[in-house]
Amino acid sequence: MFGRNKLSPYVTENLSEDLIRLENLVKIYDTGAIKVLGLKKINLTIQRGEFVAIMGHSGSGKSTLMNILGCLDRPTLGHYYLDGIDTASLSSNELSAVRNLKIGFVFQSFNLISRTSALKNVELPMTYARISKRKRSERAMELLECVGLGKRAYHMPNELSGGQRQRVAIARALANEPPLILADEPTGNLDTAASIEIMEIFSELHKAGATVVVVTHEENIAAFTHRIIRFSDGQIVSDERNPNPTPGSGDVHTKGLYKNRATGAQRGQSKELEQAKDAGKGDNVC
Amino acid sequence: MLIENMIMAFHAIKANKMRSFLTMLGIIIGIGSVISIVSIGDTMRGLFSDLYKDVGITQAYISIGYWLDDIRQSDYFTLDDLERIKEVFGDEIAYIDADSATSSDVQAGRIKMKFNFSGIDYNYIDVQPVDIIYGRYLNKGDILGRRKNVVIKVESAEQLFGTENAVGKTFRTTIYGYTDEYTVVGVYKKEMNAFQALMMGGRSDTGSAYIPYTILTWPNDLNYYCHLFAAEGTDMNDFMSRLLTYIAKLKGRNASDYYTQTAVEQMGSVDGVMGALSSAVGGIAAISLLVGGIGIMNIMLVSVTERTREIGIRKALGAKTRDVLIQFLTESAILSASGGIIGVALAVSLVTVGGMALGLPVIIKPMVILLAVSFSAVVGIFFGIYPASKAAKADPIDALRYE
Ligand SMILES: Nc1ncnc2c1ncn2[C@@H]1O[C@H](COP(=O)(O)OP(=O)(O)O)[C@@H](O)[C@H]1O
Ligand SMILES: [Mg+2]
Repeated sequence: MFGRNKLSPYVTENLSEDLIRLENLVKIYDTGAIKVLGLKKINLTIQRGEFVAIMGHSGSGKSTLMNILGCLDRPTLGHYYLDGIDTASLSSNELSAVRNLKIGFVFQSFNLISRTSALKNVELPMTYARISKRKRSERAMELLECVGLGKRAYHMPNELSGGQRQRVAIARALANEPPLILADEPTGNLDTAASIEIMEIFSELHKAGATVVVVTHEENIAAFTHRIIRFSDGQIVSDERNPNPTPGSGDVHTKGLYKNRATGAQRGQSKELEQAKDAGKGDNVC
Repeated sequence: MLIENMIMAFHAIKANKMRSFLTMLGIIIGIGSVISIVSIGDTMRGLFSDLYKDVGITQAYISIGYWLDDIRQSDYFTLDDLERIKEVFGDEIAYIDADSATSSDVQAGRIKMKFNFSGIDYNYIDVQPVDIIYGRYLNKGDILGRRKNVVIKVESAEQLFGTENAVGKTFRTTIYGYTDEYTVVGVYKKEMNAFQALMMGGRSDTGSAYIPYTILTWPNDLNYYCHLFAAEGTDMNDFMSRLLTYIAKLKGRNASDYYTQTAVEQMGSVDGVMGALSSAVGGIAAISLLVGGIGIMNIMLVSVTERTREIGIRKALGAKTRDVLIQFLTESAILSASGGIIGVALAVSLVTVGGMALGLPVIIKPMVILLAVSFSAVVGIFFGIYPASKAAKADPIDALRYE
């Protein structure tokens, strides 16, 4: 993969390990007067290539978990191993590098940088990965075309619809082809049609070998995924396979979104991917 | 990356045009006044050095100290003294005379006017060049023979005789009580720019003419001044001290009993005045740059707060502390440097227009402009450090949550 030549071990992948392993993870919000327990002793493993939904009522700790998984926040107690590396041992600049290269984050409120074109937004993670200007604008354009926004590359965020903004955000999350895609209620601000478009893109990414974790409180959104984890009051209350995930319509053409990752994942890291291939869906993806 | 940052900074500055402009104001005024004063200073210095080149940069006057109580007749310079000085110093002295001059009424036909007569030697033209447009300059014979010949300024010829070519014409005048007829042997012309004309007194109704200095020193040949031009490129300090030592020995005085005036000294005093003016304006500029810098710091703090969420997003996407730091430092440097550039542009147009109005050649050194703009960028970087490091240290999750 490009741009990774001179980086330390913590950003190279360690394929023999689980992608995510949480051990007795606790998050306490200390607001001075009161202490809020955001997460209570979470133990959770997510393997490479899984497509997971996290569900639960508002305030149940879904975002708290996602922020920790995304290395945006640190746990109060316990351990978070990403690729086998304890994230607690990393400095804030090392965490920046991890976020840059290993994690693609998709937010409910899109979080595009205003007054900055779609193309420049998508280029940003590559800018921070020190990829040459020519390469990154090429790649950004390719990504925008993949999410059907090739013609909108030079539009500003405020000139795009919610669904379009979220597709720009996804393209941006994929810029450095991270192994882990985290989406915190990505369809929360979108109508049904746009939500389904977004979930189809995630389905395709999953087929291409990405590990995708989506937070939602809508059953029909969770239905796209292969594993559903339910949260309540900062704890996991259930963790089940979804035997019949909603299939993608096959309308989205995501060639190029995630082109290099597929080979690594197809080396048998994920049973689910194999199932997907058996079902004959994984063939022409990217 | 740097270019990216610069483009980003320009966008951020453009997004808040009015605010950015107001922020730059201090820098604009500071840099503008520095450039103005430096350019005015350079221009003045240029003018004075032109003027003194014209007057003669190696020109010097020596006289017996006016403060002495016991001035004797022997303290005056005789023509023999001047001759001896010339012999002893040889080629070091380009020209020497007694700086004799007088003014008197002249009459030609029915026209009467006042004239200033400068007593000169035949080679005065070597140190004070003029164009002889008709006739000739004074020659050795005129000087030695104390001939009543003059070389007249073209404007004066026009006034006195109604014609520029006054060669051969005569007028009557009284010098030191002796009324005689004088003959014009040449007409000269001297070009001056507006500043020289101003400094030299410009046009006047008084005529000007060169006359053999031997006429003005006659009959007693005692002169208060020894007036000379050293050879071009002479070290005036060294030359003057040797000259004074010699003169003191010649006249039986101490070197410290003589009063001297050199063009170099006078130029020094111009520099002194400009120097004082420069430091006064420099102080004002320093204060406005300081205030401007604080303004920039203030607006950068506002900008950092306003864009907390953007900072959070950038960090979430992998920006390191240094990336954010450099982004905001670039922004404040560009904000400040833009102020510097506007200040320079204002000052340059002001000085240029002023120079054009006064008809003076303005000197603006590119190096000064470069320095000023770089300095304003440095001010921006310095005052941007605190806001930028505040932005750089932001915690990603706190920044993203910021409303
Ligand atoms: N920054 C914070 N400061 C204090 N308490 C917080 C903060 N963020 C979340 N919480 C609390 O932690 C709990 C879990 O919140 P969150 O993870 O945002 O829930 P969800 O995303 O499932 O709606 C809630 O009770 C919430 O009030
Ligand atoms: Mg939430």
